[in-house]
Amino acid sequence: MTVDILSSIKGAQPSAAVDKLFEEIKNAHPATNNSFNNRNRNSVSLDALREDVVIESDAIEKEIIRENFPASKNGYLVVSKVIED
Amino acid sequence: MESQIKKVHEQLVSKEISCIALVQEKLNFLKENTHNSVNLLLEEKALKMAAAVDVKINAGESIGLLEGIPFGVKDVYMLQGTITTASSKMLAKYKAAYTATAIQKLIHAGAIPIVKENCDSFGHGSSSENTIFGAVKNAVNPALVGGGSSGGSAVNVAKEYTVFSIGGDTGGSIRQPAGYNAIYGLKPTYGRISRYGLMAYASSTDCVGPLARSIEDIRIVLNAISGQDPKDQTTIQSEAISKEEIATDTSKFKIGYFKNFIEGDAIDAKTKAAFLETLENLKSKGVSVQELDFFKGSTLVSTYYTLAMAETASNLSRLDGSNYGNRIASDNLIDSYAVTRSESFSEESKRRIVGGNQVLSQGFSDAIYSKALTLRDEVVANFDKDFQVVDLILSPVTPSTPPEIGNSLKDPHAMYLSDAYTVGFSLAQLPTLTVPQGTATGLQLTAAKNKEQTILKFANFLKENV
Repeated sequence: MTVDILSSIKGAQPSAAVDKLFEEIKNAHPATNNSFNNRNRNSVSLDALREDVVIESDAIEKEIIRENFPASKNGYLVVSKVIED
Repeated sequence: MESQIKKVHEQLVSKEISCIALVQEKLNFLKENTHNSVNLLLEEKALKMAAAVDVKINAGESIGLLEGIPFGVKDVYMLQGTITTASSKMLAKYKAAYTATAIQKLIHAGAIPIVKENCDSFGHGSSSENTIFGAVKNAVNPALVGGGSSGGSAVNVAKEYTVFSIGGDTGGSIRQPAGYNAIYGLKPTYGRISRYGLMAYASSTDCVGPLARSIEDIRIVLNAISGQDPKDQTTIQSEAISKEEIATDTSKFKIGYFKNFIEGDAIDAKTKAAFLETLENLKSKGVSVQELDFFKGSTLVSTYYTLAMAETASNLSRLDGSNYGNRIASDNLIDSYAVTRSESFSEESKRRIVGGNQVLSQGFSDAIYSKALTLRDEVVANFDKDFQVVDLILSPVTPSTPPEIGNSLKDPHAMYLSDAYTVGFSLAQLPTLTVPQGTATGLQLTAAKNKEQTILKFANFLKENV
């Protein structure tokens, strides 16, 4: 799939400035070649997971969410044309 | 110990100035918007909060240290009921439905948000020129850029339009503008401050942090906004830092610096000379200074941008005019997404989104994205090794002085390379403070994770001795 489709940006092309960065990575020689042992995953332990609870938004929050999505149909906020289609 | 927050607090308590007069004075400066640092003034709400503080003071009640202190907010933070644009056309009319945790904590402590501040759109930039609100002008020389992406925040603090501001730092966006405008700016340890309510750029390096004119104010604000937050599962526990533990004492510091940062061609001669002179100065004060090996600047920049672009491509995919953003209708849904994104993202944001999707796509993922993750691991391992032998790493903030407005976006690759000294610390999620000393754009002080107190203590030592 081309980058314009992947990015949902009409006419998008890879840029020369960014390609230079990627070339640098391609030419780099890491001491190891194992990306699956990386230590930068900010994973959360099972013991530390928060409770899976539904938190009700307050009235002001709900009102602003409605303002951000002004279109409505049959009492529902219309967030995308899919709903209408 | 110098502190603008304490000074203003004392002025309020002694009734030397009313809170309303204080806030109005700051708002009047900001209304002029001489440096394009302002996206939105929060006048009505700010004056209402100030009036409430005055009522308390006049009734003889005590007030907290942050109560009534006017501060600025980079326009990437949610503040309920305010237009929150990320300096982008895409979100020009977006109203925040809730308030970011860090900002909410300050409001709970009584501090008063007075302005949403200009920045590079979605944090995409190093100059605060990638914005729909006009390029931010440097506080010291308005012909130069304010730095980025938290340029408006740094300029407002430097010009004393805010007592402090809250910026965001993904690859240097607090530290570099702090350096360009001669103030302090802290990128804390990743996870020390909740990212809830901060518009995501690159989630694995995004950090919330304060910009201020004194070390003590950095400490005060850091303590106020740190802490675990169930709404951001990457947050960590941290202890409040006391004034006493960061006071200068006679303890011997062991400092390291990356010799390749100052031996390369990228650094300008004056910055190099000033940095080396600072090292000599430190040695004469009994500080142990040693050379360290590190990665090439171009490798650090490429690793950082590869990962940051991949993350921003994912994070900004929700901005399609349906979930978020101003919708531009077209013939069908798919076309509507594409037209909206094509017309509403800036050229720099599009460049990063496209680059991110490139490295995540089949055929590129292993050759570039996965390899960048491996390189990041090696950067982290390098720091682990360094902090076995030194307490702190000292480095310049930037290789050269701020460019003139209008030049940075013409050469994106040069702009990326200008971040060479800041992005390595971001990749390793380390705490780093910019101090306005040592070179024309300051120095970075970096310690191991969760060692902010060591950094602040050394900053005090530097201020008093060098």
